[in-house]
Amino acid sequence: MAGARTERPVSVPLVNHHHGQPDSLVHRLPAALKLGVALVIIVATVLVPIQWRAWFIGVAGLLVLTAGLSRLPLFFLFRRLLILSPFVLGVVLVNAFQPAGRDKWLAVAIKSVLCLLTVILVSNTTPFSRILRVLKSIRVPALLITTLALMHRYLFVLMDESERMRRARASRTFTRGRRFHWNTLATVVGQLFVRASERAERIYDAMCARGWK
Amino acid sequence: MHIPDGFIDGKTAAVTAVISAAGVGFALRQVRRELPPRRVPLLGLAAAFLFAAQMVNFPVAGGTSGHLVGGTLVAALLGPSAAVVVVTTVLIVQCFLFQDGGVMALGANIFNMAIVNSVIGYVIYRMVCHWLTGIRGRVTAIAFAAWCATVLAAICCAGQLAWSGTIPWSVAFSAMATVHMFIGVGEGLISALVFLAVYRARPDLITETASAGQPQRLGELVRYGLLVTLGVAVFVAPFACSWPDGLDSVADKFGFSHKMAPLLPAPAPDYQVLGIHWAVGATAVAGAAGSLIVFVLALLMGRWLVPEPKDL
Amino acid sequence: MNAAIEIADLKYRYHDGTEALRGASFCIAPGECVALLGPNGSGKSTLLLHLNGILPEKLSGAGAVKILGEPVTLNNLETIRRRVGLVFQDPDDQLFCPTVQEDVAFGPQQLGLGDAEVAARVQKALAQVGLADFGRRATHHLSHGEKRRVCLAGVLACEPAILILDEPTSDLDPRGRREFKALLRQIPATKLIATHDLELVVELCSRVIVLDRGSVVADGPMFELLNDEKLMLEHGLERPHILRHQHPH
Repeated sequence: MAGARTERPVSVPLVNHHHGQPDSLVHRLPAALKLGVALVIIVATVLVPIQWRAWFIGVAGLLVLTAGLSRLPLFFLFRRLLILSPFVLGVVLVNAFQPAGRDKWLAVAIKSVLCLLTVILVSNTTPFSRILRVLKSIRVPALLITTLALMHRYLFVLMDESERMRRARASRTFTRGRRFHWNTLATVVGQLFVRASERAERIYDAMCARGWK
Repeated sequence: MHIPDGFIDGKTAAVTAVISAAGVGFALRQVRRELPPRRVPLLGLAAAFLFAAQMVNFPVAGGTSGHLVGGTLVAALLGPSAAVVVVTTVLIVQCFLFQDGGVMALGANIFNMAIVNSVIGYVIYRMVCHWLTGIRGRVTAIAFAAWCATVLAAICCAGQLAWSGTIPWSVAFSAMATVHMFIGVGEGLISALVFLAVYRARPDLITETASAGQPQRLGELVRYGLLVTLGVAVFVAPFACSWPDGLDSVADKFGFSHKMAPLLPAPAPDYQVLGIHWAVGATAVAGAAGSLIVFVLALLMGRWLVPEPKDL
Repeated sequence: MNAAIEIADLKYRYHDGTEALRGASFCIAPGECVALLGPNGSGKSTLLLHLNGILPEKLSGAGAVKILGEPVTLNNLETIRRRVGLVFQDPDDQLFCPTVQEDVAFGPQQLGLGDAEVAARVQKALAQVGLADFGRRATHHLSHGEKRRVCLAGVLACEPAILILDEPTSDLDPRGRREFKALLRQIPATKLIATHDLELVVELCSRVIVLDRGSVVADGPMFELLNDEKLMLEHGLERPHILRHQHPH
């Protein structure tokens, strides 16, 4: 849930995005097709009653086939699916004591896993810039597209900066006091905003330098 | 608070999508109107900042840590409409790239975290700034506003889950509201510390947004207010109306425990687990008391962090 | 013939009042390759930003800066920026598009060129910097050296008459530096390079301008100035090793 989580080792790559195999049948499919099919699958899966087993088995089959064709590592896929576990657990607990509970949490679990797998497959076989192009073609406002593009472009730059600042601070931290720690971290985050702000101005200058009006 | 797909049903997803689309569309228009061209890249960079900032772990106890969510912070730094755009951007990227939050659930997530969190946070922030001046006042304001916004967003989320029939309202409300009352304290504290850090490094970044178009803001906020009210009316009000039944009705409800729950349920869940019903009332009371306590804490924290009251 | 770049008594103050430039003046002829040297904080980057009208924030017609004979004013910024290509210090600031192709195409597109012409220029520019197959690569995945080359390509695609570079070889490994120097050597435009890389200066530049605390303290032939140890040390620089073992004949 928001705002709290267990400590993650710094060495675990923050970017849960797979860059390994850049090519497979699935990778080469047009982005619009993949997004369209994904949307249909997700909406239908959520709306269809759990009793229509054929649908869920069919979708599961299609997804497994696609996963195989995409040559994405299984372990990676499985790890991404595990994100859902706390949510599903929550729903399971709540509904465990209801008479219709079992049907309910099973429905939620199956639907959410299928939908999540769909998104994982599409997002890891489609470059983000292509996704943005599809959004542009369905008339998503230009300002939002630009903002999405810039965010994606500078995401990793800022995460790197943040990591470097934290490490630099940690190297000069000798006390283990939590209060000091929070102050340090907050300063790092504050600095990150200031740097982001200043970088934004420099980007604007760079855009103007190449003729942007 | 990112709701995955499958946890909210079709009608909830549709309604939230429509409301959110309206809200984000409006925010985009506002931003285009009031943001000078020089600051357009700042939206994208602020979104990247928010994402990176959310990755910073603030250790709490044992192995747990908290992290910034940041809707209120961004609203205080850039204004409410810019914050809506920024947080929406973050949510979309989180959904597509990191599968944090579902695609169909985007409408709900945007409503809770981009619109309710940012706008309500901003409104409360400015209200408190009105009474308490100077940088100390702002620090207090942002801490309190961030807490309130977190709790309110959580309540909306609970409402959406309940309206979908995934979790009964009593459980959803009690659990989410209570948990987020605690999480909100972290959010308020971190937001205040970061705000102060930005002020110390570049005070001009803070004062810049302070003077941004005061009278126009009212019209803007009224429109957001209408959207938020609509959302609250749909998701929260039906449930909120049912809880003041009190202890009397608990006995009646006892008889419902054998009833089957339909898969696409009606807005009001028709079964209750014994004892949890009045938890809703208790949670609401705790919330009201909590907000007073948090306000006092925020005041104290303001004094502690900003020893000398200084005008901006 | 008009000077390529002409600045006369250029002054500039930061927001907090510190003087960044205190009356800098120099004149660069077309075709020259000039190095702008100076210690950190001397105002080099600030000066460069004046050459395509980004600074001062409020441009008046004062005409302290002239590009190819024309003073830089609010009205002719478009033409000035067509003629002056500025490569920024931090490639991440300049590479703001998602793919290499899109980024190099940005300049030509802003110039209003047609799709075919834009594509042709992108191809040519990428080939010039040795990154012909990099079109589809994502910008955030490039190595530092590759980013710097894509930045250069992005500017070359606009075919400017004057090329200005701010610390182009900093953070590059020795091979990266060699490759970049080789690239620059082949570009015929007038070049002004702000740098700390004294080897680059020796290899490429015929003239050196030394900036210190906002004003020009020396302006002359490269060999003469770089060999003047006293001058170099006085302004936070040093005589490059490469010259200690070289004779001008």
